[in-house]
Amino acid sequence: MTRKIKMVTLFLILVVASMGLYIYLELYNKPHVDVSRSSPNISVDSSIILKDFEDSEADANTKYLEKIVQVTGVISELNTNKGKTIVTISGQNTFGSIMCHLSPEENIKADHLKEGQNITIKGICTGYLMDVILVKCVIIN
Amino acid sequence: MKPIYILTYCLLFVTLLHGQEKYLTKQGYTSFFSSSPVEDIKADNNQVLSIIDTTTGTIAIAILMKSFMFEKSLMQEHFNENYVESDTYPKATFKGQILNFSTLNEDQKTANIKGDITIHGVTKKIEIKTQIVKTPENISLKGSFPVTVADFNIKIPSVVINNIAETIDVTFQLDHQPYKK
Repeated sequence: MTRKIKMVTLFLILVVASMGLYIYLELYNKPHVDVSRSSPNISVDSSIILKDFEDSEADANTKYLEKIVQVTGVISELNTNKGKTIVTISGQNTFGSIMCHLSPEENIKADHLKEGQNITIKGICTGYLMDVILVKCVIIN
Repeated sequence: MKPIYILTYCLLFVTLLHGQEKYLTKQGYTSFFSSSPVEDIKADNNQVLSIIDTTTGTIAIAILMKSFMFEKSLMQEHFNENYVESDTYPKATFKGQILNFSTLNEDQKTANIKGDITIHGVTKKIEIKTQIVKTPENISLKGSFPVTVADFNIKIPSVVINNIAETIDVTFQLDHQPYKK
């Protein structure tokens, strides 16, 4: 009888311990947000997001930071940095612009992009320096 | 307090941009590396803004904390939420001087930079030696320096004290181009 209790207890401890380890590893290896598979938290026109940041950076930070933002606008500049394409979208009558750093998987699609073209792009907003910055961007249209 | 900071930064950049001889990068690179017996932690940031005024040798750098990309998303989450508190302190900044900038010529390989670095709302004086390449088309700065976590009032919980180094190595590479309006 006592042997059976001991066995059961041992078994339970093992189950709890392995569950704990499993949860820990799941948490530790939690993947990054996959922008291409997530729907955007906010969809805006380039002029609106720029105006929001120009009006009040603090308010815009609470609204946009770490969110998946989908922006529509006109490409004003195309650059590459370390093999990654950076698409700059300008607003209308605004000083700043939106710099979209494409995710590595999206680079192939960047070849057919042209300045002056309309584009819809989504990415994670990390903040505002001279420009609004979006990282891990995916081209929608 | 915060709006004043923001206003100061804006004014700083606006005034810096109005002059003539500005060199600028919006895609500067910064990374930091923490090595501990338990694990190595590295994060990269490719969105550093840096502006040099060549008439005075003044340099201003702004870095978004949320632009640091980690290998593990949990590390990135902890870094932003618990350590640098990037919702409250979204930027790290540096403002200073490239010493003897006007006398530097194209043969010069190193330069000293002296100024104030602000991380997590705490400002410290710093002087570091950098590699420099100065040509009319490009001013490139490259180097690294140590940052002691405790100096910037960043508290590491005792549970993970062995996972994070007390001193972090910060590396940077900034390739400035002439600024055309």
